[in-house]
Amino acid sequence: MSWLGPVAAAAGRGALRLMPAARRDWAEAIWAEAQEVPPGWPRLAWRAGGAVLIAKEGQMARRIGILVLGAAAAGAAAWAAWPESSVPISHGAADQGDVIITLTLLACLPLLTRWLLGPPDSRAARWLRAGCCAAILAIMPAKAVTDMFVGAVPRGGIDLRTYDVGNSNGGLPVPGSVSGGPTWGGEIIILFITACYLAVILALTARRASVTPATLAVSARAGLVLGLVMYAVDPLGGQKIATDPWLHGSATDPLVALAWVLLFSAPFAAGALAGKRCHVPDDPGQASAARAWQGFAAGLVSNGVGALTVTVLGIGTTALMLESALVRGWLYHGQHLTASAVYGRELNASGAVAFYALICVVFPIIGLVMGLIGSGCANVTSPRPATGEPTALRGG
Amino acid sequence: VLAALYARPSEWQHGYILAQQTGLKSGTLYPILIRLADRGLVEACWQEEPAPGRPRRHLYRLTAEGLASAAAAAEASSASVKERPGASPRRGRGVAAPAVP
Repeated sequence: MSWLGPVAAAAGRGALRLMPAARRDWAEAIWAEAQEVPPGWPRLAWRAGGAVLIAKEGQMARRIGILVLGAAAAGAAAWAAWPESSVPISHGAADQGDVIITLTLLACLPLLTRWLLGPPDSRAARWLRAGCCAAILAIMPAKAVTDMFVGAVPRGGIDLRTYDVGNSNGGLPVPGSVSGGPTWGGEIIILFITACYLAVILALTARRASVTPATLAVSARAGLVLGLVMYAVDPLGGQKIATDPWLHGSATDPLVALAWVLLFSAPFAAGALAGKRCHVPDDPGQASAARAWQGFAAGLVSNGVGALTVTVLGIGTTALMLESALVRGWLYHGQHLTASAVYGRELNASGAVAFYALICVVFPIIGLVMGLIGSGCANVTSPRPATGEPTALRGG
Repeated sequence: VLAALYARPSEWQHGYILAQQTGLKSGTLYPILIRLADRGLVEACWQEEPAPGRPRRHLYRLTAEGLASAAAAAEASSASVKERPGASPRRGRGVAAPAVP
């Protein structure tokens, strides 16, 4: 019994960190007050009350739920992406490396950001983080499927002949084998892009980044629209092959025009709205800087979300096409393709996955430039705040 | 809890004393104090000069708004008792007997 008190006290002091900063005083108060309670069971019961307070006010049930859900999603994604034992060691090592490094990033970067920049403090920030993590997890198994399809030599039949035609300069591969080796350079680039996306989203949604919830909400919605339109244009990477019922293969399709317009206008509009909606200091210089920061963040988030959306949907569709005849039939509805053409398209689609890496790099650059321009326009058109108006940088 | 604080409105009170007065456990008392503080009815502060070898204690007392609310609640409670002379006021967890200052 004598050891129970100090252990409970130490556990309680550690648990204080689970409380939101605004409530931590109250938990500390219970722990301090425990010294006044007679030792033994009464003091232990008092501390148990403190533990109940921490569990309730620290929203432990929600936190544990999120943790379990995240771990389950990560486990499922890793299980789906983990290479089978029949895969050659070189390919298997690349896929295993992908899974391990991606999961490590997902586990460590949020903790690092929390430590450096604080936790997310709005619903928009939390949703954006969750969406980004879910997208990265979804990409992992889909990419593994397409990678293996590109490298796998068909066992025979028309697929093998089509494969031989496409790879005639590399000698005849062994049917059923896995040709070539993993592209380590490509893997490193993709992991680097993944790390950058995660780090930027985590940083922009952290408390100390001072990006307002309104900015995050507006830009994420604009990004989703952009991503969905881009996906409708290119559901299978950068291919120009018609994929009914989506696109009819025309370069002047209104959908293509809309995609181009959105690529530039979505971050511009998000930047302008973010600049208009945020509260700014009275000082014109500081007001411009505050609006520019919101516009920068809005543009980056808008096109980043757009790129991530089109990547998830595109790679996911490609992976499903490889695995499901139903999806193939849906994509090439009414085209009456030969088996060779279907295989050729599958191969092309799998090879075109790299197109999404390009999108993921170029879109955010366009986004941040357009977001800054948009916030500059908001700066010109927004009236100066009246004297006495709140001048906090955080708005929304 | 309001009534216990209202009994000595000008004094800062400790959590343990309030728990003894109200018969509430710490896990019930403190959430009530938190809600009262959130609504601006109770103010809290840390003890400036703790007893030697003891940690600083958290102190509570009613704000002006809290005093008004507690007075109104006590008045309403005593009025309802007068209206129903045979009925005793209902007591539950976190509801203390109305205190007369």
